[in-house]
Amino acid sequence: MFCSKKKSLEVERIVKANDREYNEKFLYKDNRIHTSKYNILTFLPINLFEQFQRVANAYFLFLLILQLIPEISSLTWFTTIVPLVLVVTMTAVKDATDDYFRHKSDNQVNNRQSEVLIDSKLQNEKWMNVKVGDIIKLENNQFVAADLLLLSSSEPHGLCYIETAELDGETNLKVRHALSVTSELGADISRLAKFDGIVVCEAPNNKLDKFTGVLSWKGSKHSLNNEKIILRGCVLRNTSWCFGMVIFAGPDTKLMQNSGKTKFKRTSIDRLMNTLVLWIFGFLICLGTILAIGNSIWENQVGDQFRTFLFWNEGEKNSVFSGFLTFWSYIIILNTVVPISLYVSVEVIRLGHSYFINWDRKMYYSRKATPAEARTTTLNEELGQIEYVFSDKTGTLTQNIMTFKKCSINGRIYGEVRDDLDQKTDMTKKKETVGFSVSPQADRTFQFFDHHLMESIELGDPKVHEFLRLLALCHTVMSEENSAGQLIYQVQSPDEGALVTAAKNLGFIFKSRTPETITIEELGTLVTYQLLAFLDFSNFRKRMSVIVRNPEGQIKLYSKGADTILFERLHPSNEDLLTLTSDHLSEFAGEGLRTLAIAYRDLDDKYFREWHKMLEDANTATDERDERIAGLYEEIERDLMLLGATAVEDKLQDGVIETVTSLSLANIKIWVLTGDKQETAINIGYACNMLTDDMNDVFIIAGNTAAEVREELRKAKENLFGQNRSFSNGHVVFEKKQSLELDSVVEETVTGDYALIINGHSLAHALESDVKNDLLELACMCKTVVCCRVTPLQKAQVVELVKKYRNAVTLAIGDGANDVSMIKSAHIGVGISGQEGLQAVLASDYSFAQFRYLQRLLLVHGRWSYVRMCKFLCYFFYKNFAFTLVHFWFGFFCGFSAQTVYDQWFITLFNIVYTSLPVLAMGIFDQIALDTSYWTVINHVFIWGSIATYFSILFTMHSNGIFGIFPNQFPFVGNARHSLTQKCIWLVILLTTVASVMPVVAFRFLKVDLFPTLSDQIRQWQKAQKKARPLRSRKPQTRRSSSRRSGYAFAHQEGYGELITSGKNMRVKNPPPVSGLEKTLYNSTSWIENLCKKTTDTVSSFSQDKTVKL
Amino acid sequence: MKRKSQDCKSRLPDNSAVKQQQLPAFRLQLSANEILSGFFATGVFCLGMGVILLLSAKSIKEIEINYTEKCASCAKLREDATNFDKECNCSISFYLPQKMEGNVYLYYKLYGFYQNLYRYILSRSNIQLLGTDVKDVRNCAPFKTSDKGLPIAPCGAIANSLFNDTFVLLYNPDSSTQIEVPMMRTATAWWTDKYVKFQNPTYQNLSHAFEGTAKPPNWPKPVYELDEEDPRNNGFINDDFIVWMRTAAFPTFKKLHRRLHRIDNFTEGLPAGSYSFIINYNFPVSRFQGQKALVLSTLTWSGGSSLFLGLAYLVTGAVTLLAFFSMMAVHLKLKERKTFFLQ
Repeated sequence: MFCSKKKSLEVERIVKANDREYNEKFLYKDNRIHTSKYNILTFLPINLFEQFQRVANAYFLFLLILQLIPEISSLTWFTTIVPLVLVVTMTAVKDATDDYFRHKSDNQVNNRQSEVLIDSKLQNEKWMNVKVGDIIKLENNQFVAADLLLLSSSEPHGLCYIETAELDGETNLKVRHALSVTSELGADISRLAKFDGIVVCEAPNNKLDKFTGVLSWKGSKHSLNNEKIILRGCVLRNTSWCFGMVIFAGPDTKLMQNSGKTKFKRTSIDRLMNTLVLWIFGFLICLGTILAIGNSIWENQVGDQFRTFLFWNEGEKNSVFSGFLTFWSYIIILNTVVPISLYVSVEVIRLGHSYFINWDRKMYYSRKATPAEARTTTLNEELGQIEYVFSDKTGTLTQNIMTFKKCSINGRIYGEVRDDLDQKTDMTKKKETVGFSVSPQADRTFQFFDHHLMESIELGDPKVHEFLRLLALCHTVMSEENSAGQLIYQVQSPDEGALVTAAKNLGFIFKSRTPETITIEELGTLVTYQLLAFLDFSNFRKRMSVIVRNPEGQIKLYSKGADTILFERLHPSNEDLLTLTSDHLSEFAGEGLRTLAIAYRDLDDKYFREWHKMLEDANTATDERDERIAGLYEEIERDLMLLGATAVEDKLQDGVIETVTSLSLANIKIWVLTGDKQETAINIGYACNMLTDDMNDVFIIAGNTAAEVREELRKAKENLFGQNRSFSNGHVVFEKKQSLELDSVVEETVTGDYALIINGHSLAHALESDVKNDLLELACMCKTVVCCRVTPLQKAQVVELVKKYRNAVTLAIGDGANDVSMIKSAHIGVGISGQEGLQAVLASDYSFAQFRYLQRLLLVHGRWSYVRMCKFLCYFFYKNFAFTLVHFWFGFFCGFSAQTVYDQWFITLFNIVYTSLPVLAMGIFDQIALDTSYWTVINHVFIWGSIATYFSILFTMHSNGIFGIFPNQFPFVGNARHSLTQKCIWLVILLTTVASVMPVVAFRFLKVDLFPTLSDQIRQWQKAQKKARPLRSRKPQTRRSSSRRSGYAFAHQEGYGELITSGKNMRVKNPPPVSGLEKTLYNSTSWIENLCKKTTDTVSSFSQDKTVKL
Repeated sequence: MKRKSQDCKSRLPDNSAVKQQQLPAFRLQLSANEILSGFFATGVFCLGMGVILLLSAKSIKEIEINYTEKCASCAKLREDATNFDKECNCSISFYLPQKMEGNVYLYYKLYGFYQNLYRYILSRSNIQLLGTDVKDVRNCAPFKTSDKGLPIAPCGAIANSLFNDTFVLLYNPDSSTQIEVPMMRTATAWWTDKYVKFQNPTYQNLSHAFEGTAKPPNWPKPVYELDEEDPRNNGFINDDFIVWMRTAAFPTFKKLHRRLHRIDNFTEGLPAGSYSFIINYNFPVSRFQGQKALVLSTLTWSGGSSLFLGLAYLVTGAVTLLAFFSMMAVHLKLKERKTFFLQ
């Protein structure tokens, strides 16, 4: 990248807090961003320079210069300059408007207010005036203005919560915490103003999850890592305020470094047109040369003796020189083979198509009042050529809403609506929602449809109660009561939020917690449980447990986690229930629900005390502490009693499944690129039918080193080719089907496929040069590719890879700032609008509110645009060749003297006025279905209108009146009158029409008979059916597969257990009650270190999963 | 809230047919039978048209007399431009085997004369020819002014190269008698040219009007002496001049020169018999290997004697019918197979 090159000088960054003068020495960029290209002064030169870089414009400029040379000029200058000025002006106006909006959005961002500590006072300052080294104050729900070093916050121990959805698409909250030395500063302005620490850190880069630096303050040095940095683009949550010191500002921030460069996007038709123009130019030169040679010969043989009538100038007596001049004259005359109006027309057509997209009611999302928007007007026809779709997950495929859908308790499924015939039907909105009279806190938005569950609760089924109690107890949710007395849950994992909310609505309300207790309301009665131990979640363990003592004194271990893990630790007596529950789990998984298994264990008091003692020892141990703790966890989490399972729906956007299905039918490959976890991504893959159990194989690449990745790729490839060989007859080739049974064709193209799942770390290795091709080859063989845990830049790299090596047209769709770079680097970027963040939309070429509109955009607008554009180009080139070649042939009759057959007015107007509208109308309004063009009224109006215009202009120009006024310009008086009264003129017109139309009709007729296309066959078939029967709609059936698959997916981060048990994240208003039970209270630094270590471990432990077949 | 709902409404695209791309569309979808019958009809029509055109072109009586070779001595004389004031006549006899009925037209025909050269065509002044400003010679290079610096009228290369041979057609009913065939020298140009595009300057005396101008260098006499007998055919509005000024598109062309005046012996047209042309040979063509000819011809409704249009119709019709038969054969043969498929 250009900017990184320029910045390569900066090896490390030195920033001193509250010292602008000191920091100015380094000339760091300030916080102003500009994505715009021009300003008022530079607009004209830069824009013109850009425009004349286009082959066509340069060509016409060159022609114009030629025409100004009188020796050569065979056409007057206005034939070229009028269209040229028109084109250049139109493009310039469009560019100016685009840039104006960029300026506007830049200004809007740059003028956001933030509180900056200046001269020992907090002052409101615009974002753009924030400088490196400034200390700024952020408040809850505010966007972070720059990359900050967190100094202090309202929360205890300098903690603060941020949402990084704009950066990586993850919506769960993340914790950042200040150094203890700085967190003591608190909100003390005077002390903050005196803060003069110096930060020495890495130069600006685009790594979102890495930061290294050192803070030197008061003579001591403190090392800094990513956990102390808040990045621009994040939103502060659940933290009333925090102070931070600006480290990177404006274009140096990691968000901006990740956003990639704005590229000028071109469609393949653009490129084709440019090559065509070059070819035609070559053709033109050939014609010119032939005619020039002809002229030289003619001059030599005939013209030489013709001087009686024309006294040539002395210099022109040379026939070779005359030929040279003739060459240029003919270049001018024949230039209409590439008429400049082609470019105007193409732009106009694209603009028209863009408006159709904007106007489309079928792409209007009424709930958010968002119409689709074509933000770039030049890419429409490319939409019809898309081969690869790269989609973000969160917010694009999913709504990012988790809902508790179903559960299986003690072998019975709840949440499935059964009608009278006791047949399972999907829950429909018509069914009445279960009235949660039990729970006064019931959430109105919660929808659960099974009365049986309510009955069971009211009947007091102990298993059901235990199940719900577990949901209310075993989690890391924090609760808070707002002023209205309503409970607000702060969740760091949306799954848990769904579960706790479900329990709340079903009468088991989680009220509050302290480090040692959890208070819940069980069907109206408050019960306080003692929290004895918290066995935290980790990606490796894939489960979490709590050990609580109920008021009766019983000690219980409640556990929830991945079914595969939990089922191994069940008590043998659970066998029957296990089979039943796992059937239910597969059913849930088959529906794409995210499942968790739920189990408990009654603990003996004595046993627990022993265990707890050992845990304490392990905690204080210096060596192998983690291993020992893990061992103890393993030890107690066994002989569990299965309660059941939960199924949470990561709600897909409406119509995602249908869209995915029809796009794959159109042979468009969909790749999911997400920053989310592997399980979640896979789960969504299944939920939208991108991954199916029918797939021959699903490859998972999760290697940690380059060698591992290479090995995994090799294996997968071997596997793929091996299977292909053995199943070669099963592999579907797109053979021409004679049969008309559409359904069978559909079925076969969908089946027999592979999927690839790769995570970010492996991807980083796989994108290295030597494995790149393997990866690409493998990925392109697969029907579905899911990349998880990828950074924004990796998303762009994947897109670039496919773009570069497959030569395929790509589309990227996403909603957040983390998708910006991929949106920019794909041929076409689509932003999901109607969300809070605007970055994706601003960077996109098209935006609409729902993923499902992609179908209409690609399959209707894209296809129509492409077909129309192709027809338009064929028509246009045909008409101009026909028009221009006349002059070539006439050259042989007029001594190659560059005499035109048509008058100059006709030449000027032919493309602009006479023939432009019918072609345009075809290009804009032509309706296509079943490969048949439909002529609309507008086509008729334009064609007959153009003919009328032609004749009226003709008669005007050939009239006596205009000759009287401009005898030199319009010497055509009487021509039209005398020629059009000749009968043979009309006979020739008639004959020409017949001779031009007949071959086409005959060709089409024979083609339908001899080589019918699919649409021909359908038409025939429709005709045979007499009446058009609507094609049977192919609803993607919800599969209920027999094969067992875990639907485990849990957006949860490790480390929250410790946060809770240590009580560090509890407000001071809830002082930890002194409990009888001794608890190991780590000192604050140690648990924070733990937390940090574990969060960084998350990824590595996660990637140890290796290649696993699901 | 209310405003918001209005907002929603305004952002919802209009439900008009144009915007929703639901304009009523016309689809020309012809069935096989319609296409086949269309082909048949077109073929038959074209054939018929071709036959009619050919018959009518054949009905034209036309005779062409090329006098380039026969007047070789005159041609030789004219090769030297200095001999412009020496007269040279030449006589050509010919025999008309069939009488020419109705209106008969006399054309002169030039071979290899490039009236369509780019520079040549530009070299004229429409303003001057309109009579408004006789001295306007702007576009007339290289024939703008005479050696003395006077503007040339009419200026330009086209006017300078005016075809200036004159002809007398004699009818010899027997070997001793010679009757001059009466010819009309007017109404050979387009009406618009004669009355709109070309006008003499308004002066009582035409020669006064052209005072201060020079004659074109190739002309033996000035423009106001082109037809001294008929003032309505003199100067710029001389029909011969106007006809010449309307440049021909191809290097071989014929231009209308005279019309038969149907009086006395010639009320029916030109009777069969022997004729002779007395040619006053002025226009040099041998320098550029050109040829000159005279054409006597009658006309029909479809134009001249060219067979091209008739033949083109005939060929098109034949090809269309051929296509019709082969298409029908293919269609019938495949129809059985197709019905089999559709079951």
